[in-house]
Amino acid sequence: MFHWLEERPFFFAVGVFLTIAFAGLIEILPSFVEASRPTVGTKPYSTLELAGRNVYIADSCNACHSQLIRPFKNETDRYGMYSLSGEYAYDRPFLWGSKRTGPDLHRVGNYRTTDWHENHMWDPISVVPGSIMPAYKHMFSKSADLETAYAEAVTVNKVFNAPYNTAITMRDGSSVTVKLPATYDEAKADMLTEAKIIANSMKNQDVKDAVEKGEIPQIVALIAYLNILK
Amino acid sequence: MKNIVIVTILISLALLGIIFSYVGNIIGDDMVNILSMLAAIIILVITVGVGLKYVNQMKNDKASGQLADENWDGIGEFKNELPIGWAVSFLTTIVWAIWYWFSGYPLWAYSQIGEYNEEVKTYNKKFEEKHANISDDELNNMGQSVFLVNCAPCHGVSADGMDSKAANLTKRLDSISVKHVIMNGSNDGLVGEGIAMPDRNGLININTGNSISDAEISLVVDYITNGFVGSQGAEVFAGVCSACHGTDGTGIPMVAPNIKNFTVDLITAVLQYGKTGAIGKMPSFKTEDMRLTATQQKAVATYIIKLQEGSK
Ligand code: HEC
Ligand code: HEC
Ligand code: HEC
Repeated sequence: MFHWLEERPFFFAVGVFLTIAFAGLIEILPSFVEASRPTVGTKPYSTLELAGRNVYIADSCNACHSQLIRPFKNETDRYGMYSLSGEYAYDRPFLWGSKRTGPDLHRVGNYRTTDWHENHMWDPISVVPGSIMPAYKHMFSKSADLETAYAEAVTVNKVFNAPYNTAITMRDGSSVTVKLPATYDEAKADMLTEAKIIANSMKNQDVKDAVEKGEIPQIVALIAYLNILK
Repeated sequence: MKNIVIVTILISLALLGIIFSYVGNIIGDDMVNILSMLAAIIILVITVGVGLKYVNQMKNDKASGQLADENWDGIGEFKNELPIGWAVSFLTTIVWAIWYWFSGYPLWAYSQIGEYNEEVKTYNKKFEEKHANISDDELNNMGQSVFLVNCAPCHGVSADGMDSKAANLTKRLDSISVKHVIMNGSNDGLVGEGIAMPDRNGLININTGNSISDAEISLVVDYITNGFVGSQGAEVFAGVCSACHGTDGTGIPMVAPNIKNFTVDLITAVLQYGKTGAIGKMPSFKTEDMRLTATQQKAVATYIIKLQEGSK
């Protein structure tokens, strides 16, 4: 049989490929599948959080901030538990980032609050003297793009089977359902309810008025997103 | 064969002579140098010997054995047995591969998380040993650095709360906070989870038998924020609050917190459960989140207590 193969370089090459591919398959694939499964407590983004995530991407926060805590003691001291791959299961695209001009934000929801973000995004120097982060005042007047966020949620639900409207078990054993209504109008009503809770802890009157009128300024969506980074 | 041995010895000696003429005077009696020299000799002899043997073999050897059927452009292949040395190494690699697959890789492989766990374990042990009998001064210094990293973004570098962006920690309580707590009650786990303070409807003045009135509220708020001075306020405090907060406001364990001074227990409770009040929301820094150890929490508490004492 080996003489037969030796005489036929093409089939020999195929044989070599299969042998090596087989090794790769059983070494790499299982651990890859295991690692990309959502960790317990990871849930898909609500539509408002997705809108905030899009603001984050549009304003290039990821150019200065990473979202990946490496397993080093000096990092876990500052940011908390190191990141696990399964925590990014619903990130499309992931925002690991490659440069830290500012701190990592993967768990910023654990130690910063709505009102702090409000102060910081309006004028970073007011809370962190000497900060070189730019101010993002325009986010307080511009409205977030809710249609795109809703379309995105529907897409990941249909195409990638992201588990909306399904009970998801959290780390403490409770279960949470992320709603994705069938129509945009219902979804918008839900987003407004979520936005009102955030606007209530904010001080900017223009933002409060906008939410009251049924509009959601970018800052509210962004804070909704930053608050669930845990 | 005899010739090869002789030539090998001669060439090796010649090469060794050259090496020795360069480094002979610096070898000295350093063990490492002597070992390196020994290794050099062995490598040299083997290299020269094996080289000569193969040159000789190429000159003299005749191929023998049965040819395989196929040949490639006139180049054939013998169907000889594998030399025993090769066969043994081949079988050994198979045995090794089985060990590596089922034990070597899964059980002994390098893991980043494993290294991290080791790092944390060693560090924590060192930290514990170093700070087993930590002095107040050291605690205060450690507390200051913890504060500047973790707390200053909200409470301000000087802990003054930056215009009420967060609580002013140079002072125990300000009037809006006290008033807010009396109006709304409070359940933030300051003296243990679930031990709450009732709102104004549940605060009965034992002197009058009624729940606390607006006038009484403003009296008692002034009394507390002025540092527990004023006779009218003191009366209200004795009638309404002292049953829980103690006659001097320093609190009763498991009943109500100290509202006169910061204490280590109070601050570690705030760090454990977080707090929501008149000023805003304070996130929790519980030990499970890994950012602050028990010693660091105690340190930052000591720092805050010193700050408050210093500003009196
Ligand atoms: C030019 C680089 C830069 C950009 C772009 C940038 N930041 Fe920052 N950011 C920083 C720096 C530097 C700090 C640290 C100083 C400070 O806290 O202000 C920081 C701090 C932060 C913090 C506080 C984190 C902590 O742990 O203290 C948050 C939250 C944050 N940025 C959010 C954002 C968001 C959201 C955006 C996008 C809208 C953004 N940043 C864009 C540089 C940047
Ligand atoms: C039934 C017992 C009880 C009575 C009566 C009571 N308190 Fe309290 N108080 C508590 C408890 C328990 C807490 C801690 C609540 C928590 O964990 O959030 C507390 C918390 C407070 C705090 C908040 C401390 C902080 O660090 O934010 C203030 C201020 C306070 N009490 C003031 C008063 C005043 C003033 C009165 C009298 C008018 C009063 N309390 C009467 C039980 C009581
Ligand atoms: C995200 C902002 C933020 C950070 C970070 C923060 N705090 Fe606070 N903290 C607050 C706010 C807001 C309050 C006021 C809560 C209220 O309204 O009673 C507060 C209140 C407090 C109080 C007062 C509780 C009382 O009973 O009056 C203490 C003590 C405290 N913080 C300690 C700390 C320490 C220590 C750290 C750092 C390890 C820290 N805080 C980090 C926002 C923060």
